[in-house]
Amino acid sequence: MVMKKRIKVLVTKVGLDGHDRGAKVVSSLLKEAGMEVIYLGMFQRPESIVKAAIDEDVDVIGLSYLSGEHLIFTPKIVDEMKKNNFDDVLLIAGGTFPAEDIPTMEEMGIDKVFRAGSLTKSIVDYIKDHVEE
Amino acid sequence: MGETNEKAVQNTQEGNWDDYIKAYYEKPASFKSWSGYDLAEIYTPEHRPDENYKQNIADAGTYPYTRGIHSNMFRGRLWTKREVVGIGSPADTHERLKYLSQHGGSGLNTIADVTYEMGLDADHPWAVDEVGLTGVNITSIKDMETLTKDIPLDKVSWSLITASTASSVTMAQYVAVAQDAGYDIGILRGSIQNDPIHFRYCGFRPACPLDLSIKLGSDVMEYCTKNLPKWYYTTVNMYDLREQGVTAPQEVAFGFGIAMCYIDELIRRGLDIDEFAPRFTFYVSCHMDIFEEVAKIRAARRMWARLMKEKYGAKDPRSMQFRFAVHTAGCSLVPQQPFNNMIRIAYEALAAVLGGVQSLHCCSYDEPMCLPTEKAHLQALRTQQILAYETGVTNVADPLGGSYYVESLTDKIEEETLKVMKEVEDVGGMEEAIRTEWLDRQFESEAVKRQKELDKGEKLVVGVNVFTTEQEKTTPLGVQKVSSNSAKQQVAEVKELKRTRDINRLNDAVKRLRDDANDSKNVIPAMIEATRASGTTGELLGTVREVFGYPYDPMETIESPFNF
Amino acid sequence: MKKKLNTSEMVNRLLAGDRRSAARLITLVENEMDDHHEVMSLVYPHTGQAMILGITGAGGTGKSTLTDHLIGKFREQGKKVGVVVVDPSSPFSGGAFLGDRIRLQSHSQDDGVYIRSLASRGYLGGLSRATYDVIRIMEAMGNEVVIVETLGAGQDEVDVIHIAHTCLVVVTPGMGDDIQAMKAGIMEIADIIVLNKADLDGADRSLRHLQGALTVGSFEEGEWMPRVVPTVSAANKPEDLQGIDELTVTIAEHQAYLRKTRAIERVRYNRVEQELGLIFKDELQKIIFKGLKGTGKKREYIESIIEQRKDPYSVVEEVLNTYLLPGE
Repeated sequence: MVMKKRIKVLVTKVGLDGHDRGAKVVSSLLKEAGMEVIYLGMFQRPESIVKAAIDEDVDVIGLSYLSGEHLIFTPKIVDEMKKNNFDDVLLIAGGTFPAEDIPTMEEMGIDKVFRAGSLTKSIVDYIKDHVEE
Repeated sequence: MGETNEKAVQNTQEGNWDDYIKAYYEKPASFKSWSGYDLAEIYTPEHRPDENYKQNIADAGTYPYTRGIHSNMFRGRLWTKREVVGIGSPADTHERLKYLSQHGGSGLNTIADVTYEMGLDADHPWAVDEVGLTGVNITSIKDMETLTKDIPLDKVSWSLITASTASSVTMAQYVAVAQDAGYDIGILRGSIQNDPIHFRYCGFRPACPLDLSIKLGSDVMEYCTKNLPKWYYTTVNMYDLREQGVTAPQEVAFGFGIAMCYIDELIRRGLDIDEFAPRFTFYVSCHMDIFEEVAKIRAARRMWARLMKEKYGAKDPRSMQFRFAVHTAGCSLVPQQPFNNMIRIAYEALAAVLGGVQSLHCCSYDEPMCLPTEKAHLQALRTQQILAYETGVTNVADPLGGSYYVESLTDKIEEETLKVMKEVEDVGGMEEAIRTEWLDRQFESEAVKRQKELDKGEKLVVGVNVFTTEQEKTTPLGVQKVSSNSAKQQVAEVKELKRTRDINRLNDAVKRLRDDANDSKNVIPAMIEATRASGTTGELLGTVREVFGYPYDPMETIESPFNF
Repeated sequence: MKKKLNTSEMVNRLLAGDRRSAARLITLVENEMDDHHEVMSLVYPHTGQAMILGITGAGGTGKSTLTDHLIGKFREQGKKVGVVVVDPSSPFSGGAFLGDRIRLQSHSQDDGVYIRSLASRGYLGGLSRATYDVIRIMEAMGNEVVIVETLGAGQDEVDVIHIAHTCLVVVTPGMGDDIQAMKAGIMEIADIIVLNKADLDGADRSLRHLQGALTVGSFEEGEWMPRVVPTVSAANKPEDLQGIDELTVTIAEHQAYLRKTRAIERVRYNRVEQELGLIFKDELQKIIFKGLKGTGKKREYIESIIEQRKDPYSVVEEVLNTYLLPGE
C-alpha cells in the first residue's frame, strides 16, 4: 500500500517588501486544504528560496509580491532554479500586478499568476490539478 | 442593442428567466456590519433609553468631541486634500509634487520607499534592486535638497511619510535643509508620520526593534515640541493596522495602545501632557461600511478625549481633540473590474468626510495593480474635489449625529473597543502584547477570517465573489512604470558623495551622535549636524543602532564604515 | 511532473553530499514509496557516526532560536549539520504549517547546513520510524551532527526524542506549575534541561525548582545526572544572548560521558531495539492488511466483533494464523 503523497508548498517573499498578509493567509488556507506549507516569510533572496525549496523537496514554490518587485526578482529566481537543475516544480505567484505583466511573468517562467481578489479555491484547485500525486 | 435582444430571445427560448427572477427578489446577503455586529431592522428612540446628549455626544467643538473637534467644522476650513507621492528618484518625486500642487492639491505628501524606511542607503546591496519602487529614498542631505527645491517651505504644509525609526533621520534632513535655506524652523508647518512601533507590522521589524522605536520616535516628538511648535510630529498609524485585516474596534484599540507607549515615554522624560498632546495626530482607515466607519471615528473622538482627560489629566482642550487623517482602505480595492475601485474610494471618502476628517488621502483606482499613474492620481484628487464642492456634505457639522442608528453604532464600537483594550491590558499592556507577539497572532487570525468571509460569500465584493467577469487584459488608464534609470542614477550619486565628502568632518559629527546616544540625550540635534556633514541615512541610524546593541545594518549584510 | 531518478544513482550522489538527492530520498522514504527499503539498505552502511541531538519543548519556549545558535556553534567547529524539524499536522485537514525555518535563517545561505521540515502525521509507519530514516539519510549525506527538533507534545514525539544520543528539554520560567507536572516526564528523557528566556521574571525561582527536582531523583554512581543550563536564545542584540557557550560545553560533556562510560553502546542498542520493534509492527500490519485487502473479510471481522459473535483476541489469532502462518 503506497501512501498518497501530501503536496508540499513553499511560500515566501523576496527582497525588502514587507506586505506579508497575503503570504500568511494563503499559507494558512493551503494547510487547511491538506497541504504541507513551508513558510519562509520575508527578506529572502533568490538563492535562499531555491536552497530551501531543494532541501524540502517541495512540489510548489509560491511567491508573494506587492511592490512592483515581481519583474525584478522573478527572472532571478527562475535562473537560480535552472542553475540548480530544480525547474521541474510548479512556480506560482500571487499579489499585486497589472494585467499587462501577467503574460510577461508567464514568459519569465511563472506557471500561474493569482492576483489580489483570488478565492482560495482557485489556488487550491490549480495546485491539486497540476501537481502529480 | 441588437446583442441584448439576441440574448433576450435566447433566454426566452430556453426559458432561462431564473437569473432575472432571482435578481428581482434578491435581498442583502447579510445584516451584519463589516466588523461582524448584528444590526436591528430599524433604530428608534427605544434603542437610546439613557441618552445624555451633553455628556456623551455634545455639540461639535465641545468635550467629548464626539461630533467633531471644531464647532463649525468644514465651514471654517475644508479638509486638506492630500495625495501621497513617492516614485523613483528624489528628482522624479519632486516633478510629481509640482504637478499635483498645480492641480489643486492642498498639501504636499511624500512617502519613503522600502529601502529608506528600512534605513538603508540607496547603494546598500539589498537596496539597489528596489530603490524608488514604492516611494523615494533620501540617502543624504543632497537628496532632500533635490526634493524640496524651489518649494517655499515657510508657506507649504509638508507631510513627510516616513514611519520607521528612519523618521528621526528624515526630520533631521528636513530641518537641516530648511535651516540651510534660511528658514526659521519655528514656523515650519507639516507633519511626519514617525510611528516606528506600528511599522514593525508593516514588514520593517529589523528596522524597528521596540526599545529603539520608542526611543527614536519619542526623540522626534520631544525635539519638535521644543523647536517646531507648528509641526505635527507623529501620526499614529491605525490605518496600517486595519490593513492587516482587523475590525474597526481593533483598529482603534491597537492604535490607542501604541499612542500610549509614546505618551508614557514623553511623560517619563518630564514633558507635561498639555505641552505635547495637542500635536498628536492619527491616521485612520475608511473601509466600505459607511455607517460603521463614521461610528468608529465618532467613538474614537469621544474615547480619546476621555482618555486624555481622565487617564492623563490633560487640561488643554486641544490635548483632548482627536485629530486625524484618513487613508481610504487600500485592501478594499481589487484588480477585478478595476473601475469599480473609483466607486469604492468615493464611498470611503464620503465616510471620512461625514466623520469630520482633517486631512484625506484617496487611494488611486489602480493601487491593487501598480503604483498610481498620473491619470489615476488626478482622478483620486478629483474624487475629493467633487465631494468638497458638489455634494453639499460640508455644510453641516456631523450630519449623521442624532441618527438613532449611528449613535447606537457609535456606542457599540466604543464598547467593543474597550473590550479589546481590556484584552491588551490582560496580556500586560501594549508593549508586552508586542513583545510576546500576541498582536501578531491577532493580525494573522483576523486576516484569515477576512479571506474566509470572501471564500464563503459571507462578504460580497463585486468582481471577486459576485458578478464576476473574465479577467481584463489591460489596465484601463495604463500602467505606471518606475524608471530604473533614475534610481540607478541616484545610486551612482550616493557612491560619488561617499567618495568625495570631508571624512574628518563626518567622523566628528558621527562621534558626537554616538556620544549623545550613549548619554541618553535626544539624538536629533546631533543627527542634524551629521546630515550636514554628509552623513547618510544608513550611517546615522546604524550608529544609533550600535549604541543600543543592535547590528549596524538591519539586514546584517554590511559593516559600519566607522572605526573609532 | 518531477523527473524520476534511478534509486542507486541517487544514493551514490547522496553519499557525495548532494543535497538535491538527499531531499528526493527523504521524500521517498517519508512517503514509503516502493523502493523505500532498498534505499535504506543502501544507506545503512554509511550511518552510525553522527552525533544525534534531540531538542524538545512546548511551543514558544524558543527551541528554534536555540537550534539556530547551536547550528552556529557546530559550524564554528567545522562540522556539517543536518536538522530535522518536526511540526504538528492539523488533525482535521492533515495539512501542516511548517514555519520554523524562519527562525533558522542565519544559515539559509550556508551549504554546510541541511534543514528539513517534517509534518508529524500521516506516516503509515509512525513518525518515529520516518524520523529514523530521515536521520540516517542525513548521516549518509555526511552530516556530523544531526539535530532533531520536536514540539514536546504527545507520545509520538517523545518516542522521536528517544532516538537522540543527547536530549535537550527546553522550558521557560513561568511554566512553574507545568514544570512540576512535567517533572516525571522530563527526568525520563532529558540529559540537559535548558531554562530558556532566563532573563524573564521568576527565572531564579524556576532554576531552583528544577535543580531541586533533579536532586530528588536517584542516580547511580558515575551515571549522568541531568543538568540545568539557563539561556537567553532570542535577543535582537547579540550582547543579550546568554548561556549558549555553556550549553555547547555541556552537550560536549554529555557526549564525552557517553563515550567514556560506553553508555553510547546502550543508547545505540536501545535505539535499534526500538526501531526493530517499530518496523516489525508496521511490516506485519502491512502483510496482514495486504492479505485482507479485497476479501471483504476485514468488514466481516469487525461486524462480528460489534455483534459480539466474536471477541477481538480470537479475531486477531485467527487472522495471524491465516496470513502469517499459512504453512500450519
